Amino acid sequence: MNHAAPLAAGLALVALPLVLPDFWMFIGVEVLAFALYAVSFNLLLGYGGMLSFGHAAFFGAGGYAAALVAAQRSLPLPLMLVLVPAAAMLTAGAAAVLIGLFSVRRAGIYFAMLTFAFQMLLYTIALKATSLTGGDDGLTGLKLPGAIGRPVGYYYFALALTAAGLYVLHRLVHSPFGATLRALRANALRVQYLGVDVRAHRLAAFVASGAFSGLAGALFALSSGNVFPGWLNWTASATPVVMAVLGGTATFFGPALGAAVYVVLEVVISGHTEYWPLTMGVVITILVLLAPGGLTGLWKTGFGRARASRAVPLSTGEAR
Amino acid sequence: MHNPVVVARQTLAGISNGMLLFLISAGLSLIFGVLRILNFAHGALFMLGALIAVSLAAVLPAAAGSFVVVLAGAAAGAALLGTVIETGLLRRIYRAPHEMQLLLTFALVLMLGDAAKLIWGRDEQSVAMPALLTGSAHALGVSFPLYRLFLIAAGAAVAVGLWLVLHRSRWGIFIRAATMDRDMLSALGVNTRTLFTSVFALGAALAGLGGALAAPIVAVGPGLHVQVLIDAFAVVVIGGLGSVSGAFLASLLVGLVNAFGVLAFPGLAVVLTFLCMAIVLIVRPRGLLGTVE
Amino acid sequence: MSEPVLTVESLVKRFGGLTALDGVDLTVEPGEFRAIIGPNGAGKSTFFNALTGLLPPDSGRIAFSGHDITGEAPHRVARRGIARTFQITSVFGDLTAVENVQVALIAHARRSWSAWQRARGLGAARAHELLDLVGLASSAARPAATLSHGDQKRLELAIALAGEPQLLLLDEPTAGMAAQERLESIQLVHRIAIELGLSCVFTEHDMAVVFAVATRITVLHQGRVLAEGSPAEVRARPEVQQVYLGEAA
Repeated sequence: MNHAAPLAAGLALVALPLVLPDFWMFIGVEVLAFALYAVSFNLLLGYGGMLSFGHAAFFGAGGYAAALVAAQRSLPLPLMLVLVPAAAMLTAGAAAVLIGLFSVRRAGIYFAMLTFAFQMLLYTIALKATSLTGGDDGLTGLKLPGAIGRPVGYYYFALALTAAGLYVLHRLVHSPFGATLRALRANALRVQYLGVDVRAHRLAAFVASGAFSGLAGALFALSSGNVFPGWLNWTASATPVVMAVLGGTATFFGPALGAAVYVVLEVVISGHTEYWPLTMGVVITILVLLAPGGLTGLWKTGFGRARASRAVPLSTGEAR
Repeated sequence: MHNPVVVARQTLAGISNGMLLFLISAGLSLIFGVLRILNFAHGALFMLGALIAVSLAAVLPAAAGSFVVVLAGAAAGAALLGTVIETGLLRRIYRAPHEMQLLLTFALVLMLGDAAKLIWGRDEQSVAMPALLTGSAHALGVSFPLYRLFLIAAGAAVAVGLWLVLHRSRWGIFIRAATMDRDMLSALGVNTRTLFTSVFALGAALAGLGGALAAPIVAVGPGLHVQVLIDAFAVVVIGGLGSVSGAFLASLLVGLVNAFGVLAFPGLAVVLTFLCMAIVLIVRPRGLLGTVE
Repeated sequence: MSEPVLTVESLVKRFGGLTALDGVDLTVEPGEFRAIIGPNGAGKSTFFNALTGLLPPDSGRIAFSGHDITGEAPHRVARRGIARTFQITSVFGDLTAVENVQVALIAHARRSWSAWQRARGLGAARAHELLDLVGLASSAARPAATLSHGDQKRLELAIALAGEPQLLLLDEPTAGMAAQERLESIQLVHRIAIELGLSCVFTEHDMAVVFAVATRITVLHQGRVLAEGSPAEVRARPEVQQVYLGEAA
């Protein structure tokens, strides 16, 4: 695959703080966090053929876990820097194991609805477990101490973790496991007959995707300084889908591009009008009807209708 | 044990809320059964019905017949919008991958929500209850709000009407057949395009009617379209995708669970609802009475 | 006298009121090239599905080289050394032909859990060998979905062979092919089976194909074994002629 574009983007990201004022660091972190979120979501959708409509549960769980760890002011900084991402990934990963164990028993739209149901369960917990999660008010005032807590410092911290996360996901996708996942998406029934335990592999992909989404949530929480139950509401689960499809689900970095465009669009448009949802709705509609391959798809082949060949096989292909 | 008055009150509240839930879920269930699409925008159609009711009620004289006009207008308006949505947008993605369908209906949620804000403003709206239906009825030492009784009657009437349409009319038979085997239908020469549009319009009309009926007792404001959808989803799954009678049963169930849950432990009802939804999906995806496999 | 590679005893499978398999008994010796024939609805595909655990049987016993595999999940059955192809060609459409076989090799080598190593090129040499064996060497880099029907069937065979099976179950391996292609196709499978020492059970409608290669024939009718024996024996049985062979023999 062509590495030039991502490498160039990577270099630009490293150089960013040298040319832009501090305000852009927050946006930069948002882009990084959501890029990681979108790419890990796409591990399931683009590579595994599984549409999760409850992924915000993992993003949110990671955010809350990070918040709770970061609130322990007595921890020494180096330990904090290790514990925050670890706690986020472990919490989100554990949630993904529990949710996944049940959800992967079903495929297609039923799988999506199961993830939706479980996310709403977690949302309710976030809303009601006030002593732990702050309830409706959420957790606020989150900040890492010292230089890491300041915009530029935190930006590089987030950049490092995002790069690490993307690297791991990249290796995963190009590994024998990744190849098996792609085959699973193409024809789950056939894959069984190769001797592959479909459910187990789907669960593993689900957990990996959930864990990295949790990391993304943590990065975003500590940058924005807060985390709210709304992060786990069902409308939040559309975000990774939008970003992934916007960038293009057929490539590894496509969703990252989609995330960047999404975040920048939101910042720019929200600055001019309160009707960001309307704008986004129109963009999505155009995307779905005219450019289902996303931005990377447009780059490669131009406009076209949503082609059925991209569909996850529904009847003979899916294992129940 | 519980005060029987409280129990009676909550049962009434539960059933009447269940009826409102039924009006949204019946359409949602039918739309999934026939079109195989999860219409996330269904809550928006409900909200639209409520907003149309607000507007109509504001211009119509406060006469007995006005409320009927309001209800009819809301249902018709929602059906019209539904038709536009189906023919203009949804029709193009019936064969598209699931994520595209999800995104498009979600885009509708975003656009309709903001459109409502633009047209009706950001404040909460309200509709005055029709004079005839304000006040309470008294029986056995308990007082029941008349409007709630009316809701139950209205909901039951719609349920019966739907049943008749689905089981006694040609259209209804096609609809039920479509929930079981769509391909067979076109092989039999049924115009599936028109059928799909009519089903979506029917679902939209029901949602709009529900919204108008709910308007006097619900806070009609931004975000309504998001809130109501959640319970509707749970109902549709529990009752069985594609089944109107399943939606009826599950609506009553969820309505009652919510009404009594509020008494016991506020968050519990919601947790129970989603737990039920998950269990049904895991153990018996067709739901209580579903026909879609 | 070695163990039969496949033993099926009193296999029963019902779907609601319909009894698809009504007590099927079958024994396949190593090296056999067994054809299962029967009219449509006789239960042939159901039989394969029940054998491989896709539809667990209601009663009966299935043994593979002595091991009881009744009701085992498809992926376990596959791991034991049974490979299967499908009536409606079932390959990995958006992977290239060689990738299709590579994935099968990865799975067979139990490497499907390996998450760090690079998969590109893994098993490529062996994959090309297998493609060569089935006559697909020139199409190796093409996406499987773009291959012709016949070539997809060959690819399926290559995928099946990647698992180094002892028993091949082929569900209508020549379906959808023109007459000449059918004979060539089954002869290719036959040659490979002999070369690799595999046992093979295949279902088939075309009698020319059956009589060209089958060492033994089982006739299924209404979910039961109607007759079994060498091609000549089966051909001569009046009940078989009555039910099935009338036109084609």
